Amino acid sequence: MSGRARTAAAPGPGVFRAFLRRDFREAVTYKFSFISSVTGILLSSATFYFVAKLVPRGSPSLGPFGGDYFSFAVVGVAFAGLLGMFQEGLSAVVRGAQLSGTLEALLVTPVAVPAILFGSSLYSLIFQVVRTVIHLAVAAAFFGLAFGRVNVAGVLAVGLLTVLCFLSVGVLSASFILVYKTGNPFSWIMGTVSGLLGGVVFPVSLLPPWIRWISSLLPVTYSLDGMRKSLLASAPFAEVLPDVAALAVFVAVLLPLSLAVFRLAVRKAKRDGTLSHF
Amino acid sequence: MNATPAILAESLVKRYPVFRGFRELVRRPFDRRTVTALDGLDLRVEKGRVFCLLGPNGAGKTTLIKILATLVLPDGGRAAVDGRDVAREPGPAKRAVGYAVGEERSFYWRLTGRQNLEFFGALYGLRGAARDLRIAEVLRLVGLDGAADLRFNSYSTGMRQMLAFARALLADASILLVDEPTRSLDPLAADRIRTFLRGELAGRQGRTILWATHDLGEAADHADDIAVISRGRIRLHGPASSLAGGSRAVLREAYEQAVGESEKEP
Repeated sequence: MSGRARTAAAPGPGVFRAFLRRDFREAVTYKFSFISSVTGILLSSATFYFVAKLVPRGSPSLGPFGGDYFSFAVVGVAFAGLLGMFQEGLSAVVRGAQLSGTLEALLVTPVAVPAILFGSSLYSLIFQVVRTVIHLAVAAAFFGLAFGRVNVAGVLAVGLLTVLCFLSVGVLSASFILVYKTGNPFSWIMGTVSGLLGGVVFPVSLLPPWIRWISSLLPVTYSLDGMRKSLLASAPFAEVLPDVAALAVFVAVLLPLSLAVFRLAVRKAKRDGTLSHF
Repeated sequence: MNATPAILAESLVKRYPVFRGFRELVRRPFDRRTVTALDGLDLRVEKGRVFCLLGPNGAGKTTLIKILATLVLPDGGRAAVDGRDVAREPGPAKRAVGYAVGEERSFYWRLTGRQNLEFFGALYGLRGAARDLRIAEVLRLVGLDGAADLRFNSYSTGMRQMLAFARALLADASILLVDEPTRSLDPLAADRIRTFLRGELAGRQGRTILWATHDLGEAADHADDIAVISRGRIRLHGPASSLAGGSRAVLREAYEQAVGESEKEP
């Protein structure tokens, strides 16, 4: 029982197309899910539209983000939903396959486990990106979301690093679910705590200093800060650079860590014989 | 006798950790109690044989099959399929076996039988026209060509089991791992599956079948070789002709003796 295992070959694009086709075919059998999703976007945008009327335009804490609370909140909520999907999508896939009973059937195929994990969540990730775009478009068309002069390089840099960062958190969550099945602590830390301290619906600068330092430990703070500056405040790339640098550090630490932890989790679950338990 | 057997297990050991409650974890945090599923199991299955694995519940049959399918890692010894070590070469080992799990929850219920096979076919590297041809072939083989475009959730239990065989055959693996394929089936559906495994897959196509079952008649009538596993070890092993002589009663006597003796061990 020694020596390094020879794993499966890297999957081709056909494998990922197959996952997308499978999930699309399943999704169209649930006819009302898309309609309820768009309705949710409209209701959320309307809620913040009216809440924004309570916040005077040009509030000092909103200054770095264009000064409009509605735009600030909509970008925060839309991207927080996207980031939540990235960080929880992978663990949801593992949990779903454990519960539905398909995990073993997937794991006996020659496709490598990380590719199965990524392929299984691909449709949800793409769907959530589309949902975010729709969210911003609806908010702009019907509620007056005010984009600035969009810094495309900033959006791309912050977006790419954010995806890698939150996918890494997602891989950590999936590893936990693979071994312990429920009670994912990463989801709680990154979801609940980030919602309060990450600047989703109010600027981090409003937090008292004794708690504000926690925000600086959360990647969501830099993702939302960089994205708002790039989308709403016409900020040049140099102004977004501190956010880009912070996200790059998170990615450099979390990406290799999450892949190593995932390998250990798969090995432990196979060793304990609990790979498909739920 | 072939040089490389289809399936080989040597001194195979598997111990599962025992679930402990919170109080137990606090009292004895470093206590790692285990339950032994396989206790130095040795097994050799030659190519092209139908090998029935009998044994009481908890004897280790499913653990052995899951190790061979690379779903569980052994704690000691080694196991190989078609000469590929399942722990060290899981990729090639997966390609050598078809795992016909009877678990109906292993399919996507809202997709049709064909759509399920298209998905799993892509994971086995099948593409385009070759994939469609292979799917049509396996569907015809298992008798589901007329029901291929019905949703899986409308299939009967027997049809679901047949679709599991179709999926296991997609990759054209020479070894099939089959765990209680006739469980929960009516007598006629069970007979169809036995005839399909024995006559078509083993007889006509020459595949090796490792077939775990509780049904002594099934083993007596359809196996080339039979092994009885109990408490994690093979207790009895030989050609079906000598162990059963085509009779369930003879096999039952040998089975009871083998299991009974194993249970007397400390």
